[in-house]
Amino acid sequence: FELISDEGYRFDGRKPSELRRVRCNMGVFTQADGSAYIEQGNTKVLAAIYGPHEASNNMRSRVCLDKCFINCEFSQAMFSSAERKKRSRGDRKGKDMSAHIKQTFEAAVRTQLYPRSQIDIYLQVLHSDGSLYCACVNAATLALIDAGIAMKDYVCACSASLTKETSLIDINHVEELAGCAEFSAAIMPKLDQIIYSELNGRIHQDELGQLVDAVTNGCKDIFAVIDRFEVITDNTEIAVSPRSLHS
Amino acid sequence: MEENSICIPGERLGSSEQYQPGKGTYVRHGFVFASIAGSIKKESDKSGNLPLIHVQSIHTKQHIPQIGGIVICKMTQLTSAFAKCKIISVQGSNHTAAFRGIIRKEDVRATNRDKVEIYKSFRPGDIVVARVLSLGDALCYLLSTAENELGVVVALSENGTAMIPLAHDQMQCPITLLKQFRKVARPQSKHISFPENSKSALTNESTV
Repeated sequence: FELISDEGYRFDGRKPSELRRVRCNMGVFTQADGSAYIEQGNTKVLAAIYGPHEASNNMRSRVCLDKCFINCEFSQAMFSSAERKKRSRGDRKGKDMSAHIKQTFEAAVRTQLYPRSQIDIYLQVLHSDGSLYCACVNAATLALIDAGIAMKDYVCACSASLTKETSLIDINHVEELAGCAEFSAAIMPKLDQIIYSELNGRIHQDELGQLVDAVTNGCKDIFAVIDRFEVITDNTEIAVSPRSLHS
Repeated sequence: MEENSICIPGERLGSSEQYQPGKGTYVRHGFVFASIAGSIKKESDKSGNLPLIHVQSIHTKQHIPQIGGIVICKMTQLTSAFAKCKIISVQGSNHTAAFRGIIRKEDVRATNRDKVEIYKSFRPGDIVVARVLSLGDALCYLLSTAENELGVVVALSENGTAMIPLAHDQMQCPITLLKQFRKVARPQSKHISFPENSKSALTNESTV
């Protein structure tokens, strides 16, 4: 079946270079040092940051003397996908995802400022509808900002797929299932650097440039949305963390 | 950039020839960038150096102990060679997950170092102000109380009341009048506050 209709629209009515609706909220947990919630279409992710704090007992071997290490735990709620999951964490996909997010933020967080400490990133997927990695990275970025942890720049992530020589950005679950190649990347928009990229599936090498451009533009769109959210909340009241924008 | 305006991570604040980078900023390719979200503060330097630019976070930040910094800790375990403690506060911020510290026998006080006995200096549960000597090994920070202003600030006697410092090495329980040895931090006048009635009682006494 076709991912793009003859009129040039996708299944959910978006144009190929259109993002899904993004909604976000910071400071959703009081217990955590930083937290955020993000919705990209139907993909919903909660992020919580603890730290920087002293390494917990089972992580002592990972302590670095000159920088902090990042511990990332990704879990997916059992009810988050169409098929009920048997276990929420610890499966292969979750481990891969944790490792990828950890790598992404090791590149962005200024880890040398927090020697001998640990930063925990906990991610919980409440509803999974494609582009999970991207939603997780965007949520974790907001949560890190909420926690006041020093970063070189925002990290914004976006995914894209390629069909009939058109690149679709921010792909949803149906488009993921269609079996086209999926390309996800995380960039630091103001420094113009790609810090993570992943390609699942095969494409012709001539098409890679187009896909990278599409993803970069998607990330910059995401950045514009998150940035606007930050500015709105910061202008309202600087002493109060933005807890009520979403409601 | 305007002073007090809001910045977000990655925002360019100015050239490094224009400003000195302070907290919450970093330098890249000759420019100063913000690394946390917050408001921009500038401090001019009188000695002719470049003005300092730093970012003040909107949120209360977790601090980690720095070498030379003052920490507040709670004694947990004593041996004859050292005292172990939990660092409960760094620069006024409360820690949810405590860092661990260790005070060696030699670092308890500045004079008569070889006569120090840990059991006469601290007891488990005491609240101690200490300075960070070094980051120590991978397990705990190395702390020192070898200054007059450092040492035990709060200690409870056996019946649970806070004891009053008598001398640099002694504290007394106001109820049982029991005296115990401690490495007492010298009370600093700027931290002492008298309740209103006790102040008037003091002046009355002096007039009589």
